[in-house]
Amino acid sequence: MNVRVQFHSYFKELAGCAEATEPLREGASLGELLHQLRVRFPGIKPMERSTLVAVGVEYEPPDYRLREGDEVSLFPPVQGG
Amino acid sequence: MMKRSLILQREPINESALLAGRTLSRGMGAVIYFLGVVREQEGNATITAIDYEAFERMAVHQFEKIFEVMEKRWPIESIRLVHRTGVVAVNEPSLWVEVIAAHRGEAFQACEFLIDEMKKVVPIWKRPLS
Repeated sequence: MNVRVQFHSYFKELAGCAEATEPLREGASLGELLHQLRVRFPGIKPMERSTLVAVGVEYEPPDYRLREGDEVSLFPPVQGG
Repeated sequence: MMKRSLILQREPINESALLAGRTLSRGMGAVIYFLGVVREQEGNATITAIDYEAFERMAVHQFEKIFEVMEKRWPIESIRLVHRTGVVAVNEPSLWVEVIAAHRGEAFQACEFLIDEMKKVVPIWKRPLS
């Protein structure tokens, strides 16, 4: 299956792109996707501990099971206000 | 039912227009305003502006979730919030919040909760410009 990945804020510079499509095995978890992404986009690896992850418009934990067509967003800590 | 208004906008915040749009029922005794204003000092750097980026679809959703918690926790009549996106110059407000309740205690608590939660979960980021 494929999931669409979006990078926000300075993660765009770290990844070198704003979005990507990532192939994954059926039933893969969000944690597996993140592992793959850190290999494919090593620039985001140093931010591992401070990366926020959402599927659609909700924050989800690493054991979240992804589905075909899911839209995953990675970004640094938020700074509104 | 708590009235809600949420706007993410690139245009400057028109405070007088927002004040003119205020509505409150006769039982309300507290109207709290909070403005977040861009500071000249960002860490050790002197800046001229901040460029705000939002993941807007998710930001709206996360703000709505915060509003839902506020409505359950405090008897608030109305919440209005405006957040700028794009470039906001030093001394200009990037955030405008109005909370209306019967008493000041709940209004202050709810306003502080809203801003604290926003800074944890609403996907908006700052890029300082100098």
